[in-house]
Amino acid sequence: MKKQKTDTTALAVEIAGLKLKNPVMTASGTFGYGEEYADYVDLNQLGGIVVKGLSLKPRLGNPPPRIMETAGGMLNAVGLQNVGVDVFIEEKLPFLRQYDVAVIANIYGESYAEYAQVAGKLSRAKGVHALEVNVSCPNVKKGGLSFGSDPKAAAEVTRRVKAETHLPVIVKLTPNVTDITLVAQAVEQAGADAVSLINTLTGMSIDLQTRKPHLKNITGGLSGPAIKPVALRMVWQVAQKVAIPVIGIGGILTTEDALEFMVAGASAVQIGTANFINPRATVEIVDGMRHFMQHNKIKKISDIVGTLKT
Amino acid sequence: MAKDIYIGEVSANEEIRHDFFLMKITLPAEFDDPLPGQFVMIRILGLQDPFLSRPISIYSFARRKSGCAMELLYRVVGKGTSILAGLMKGSQVEISGPLGGSYTIDPMKKNIVLIAGGIGIAPLSLLAQYLCKTACCDADTMTFYLGVQTAEAVVGLDHLKKYCYKIVICTDDGSLGEKSLVTAAFQKDMKKYAPAETAIYACGPKPMLRSLSTILGKKYFCQVSLEERMACGVGACVGCAVAVKDGQGNKAYKRVCADGPVFDLKDVIWE
Repeated sequence: MKKQKTDTTALAVEIAGLKLKNPVMTASGTFGYGEEYADYVDLNQLGGIVVKGLSLKPRLGNPPPRIMETAGGMLNAVGLQNVGVDVFIEEKLPFLRQYDVAVIANIYGESYAEYAQVAGKLSRAKGVHALEVNVSCPNVKKGGLSFGSDPKAAAEVTRRVKAETHLPVIVKLTPNVTDITLVAQAVEQAGADAVSLINTLTGMSIDLQTRKPHLKNITGGLSGPAIKPVALRMVWQVAQKVAIPVIGIGGILTTEDALEFMVAGASAVQIGTANFINPRATVEIVDGMRHFMQHNKIKKISDIVGTLKT
Repeated sequence: MAKDIYIGEVSANEEIRHDFFLMKITLPAEFDDPLPGQFVMIRILGLQDPFLSRPISIYSFARRKSGCAMELLYRVVGKGTSILAGLMKGSQVEISGPLGGSYTIDPMKKNIVLIAGGIGIAPLSLLAQYLCKTACCDADTMTFYLGVQTAEAVVGLDHLKKYCYKIVICTDDGSLGEKSLVTAAFQKDMKKYAPAETAIYACGPKPMLRSLSTILGKKYFCQVSLEERMACGVGACVGCAVAVKDGQGNKAYKRVCADGPVFDLKDVIWE
């Protein structure tokens, strides 16, 4: 019993006032609204659940085909299909409230006002513990990436969301920019409590037989282990430039992957595409962290954050 | 936690016709009995290339003393299935499932019509097995229509012919059975099947299902199994979208894995 108590505190992390049991969360768009994987994973064991991106109105999403496997990963162009913020609060949130886990609502808008409205609605709902602002979706025509690739626009989104909420605000950044640290610093100055990175890298895939793109949307977002080195580099760069916590995302499959992100400067991580090939990836990574700490006599997991030797 | 990923052992994996393989897998007893129409996600244990698991419908299933015996009938169409085709006896695979929903069964229907195009026979074979063994349908009520390009491509009749006596085979080149499209062969017999007394189940290429939807109109009960590229198989990635009419008749994208793979043909929107 005593040992378990030690374990619990050893893995716990705090990000901008958001208390997590452990630093392992699910990445938005890869874990549905939690219920899809509840038969496979005890959701109570997760550090946090970041739900699929929510918009003011339900979104139909892009026409199929929407996904294509690539070397070491996959492309997707789902186009933020979602039930809308109201249905989420009515129908999906009660399910998540049954669990003792941090629920982070990922939000998306086509305008500053929409971001603010979605943020406001979720802040008044019971059972949402933080907001993650998606300014980085590559698969929608309006909003998304256009906000995230311009530091001024990203900062304005951040300000508008902050004005509507008392919850910690995490801004999710896109790698599809020349210098990600400029956007990270801009949202920090605008009041972001943390940044998460990276979203998917824009890519494409072609069927040589038909000479058509594999995705109806032509381009899509690349995820999976193929993007890990890029993500790791960006997390390291951003962590050196901002004082707010950084959440590492991008191709994490194993405990070692997750810990590399933490060494690079991430206070926590999100697991995305790995869920698709192993629904238990998150909890296995948490277990692996426990073993790593015992083996290396590390008392608190946060002790390894930003310990890269250069 | 009701569900898990199971380790299965390949007990056979044979090329029964050019590019068509029958894989027999032994699974632990904990694996749930599949309902007809359900599928599994399969990947080779310990292998990360191909990256994603592959969705394959269940062709047959039997519970034995030592565990479960599942058969997958599949066609080699790309990288994933090519690699699966290379698996030897004794190889280990990770199986997630049974996944998705199943066909709606009404044992009171006087006529049960199964229509398959090519490899679409696989889920319908499990359905025929279920109808006879579990739903206790009379074999006389069932008629099976199979369409293939040529006699050389006929696969998957082994189990089906035990459950279904009336089998109509159509080939594009006339090398076996009727030289006709399977939908045309069915249409010729349609008068025999009164809409209120008939349940139709179909699986095959999209043009076949689309043509069936034109032939049937709105009067018949018809369910079809659809196929799309999938990543997760459980509804999380929303990658395997198909356009269907929702309750209000508006277009919505449903997930083949979690909302299907079985859909009412009337609801499918052909884009």
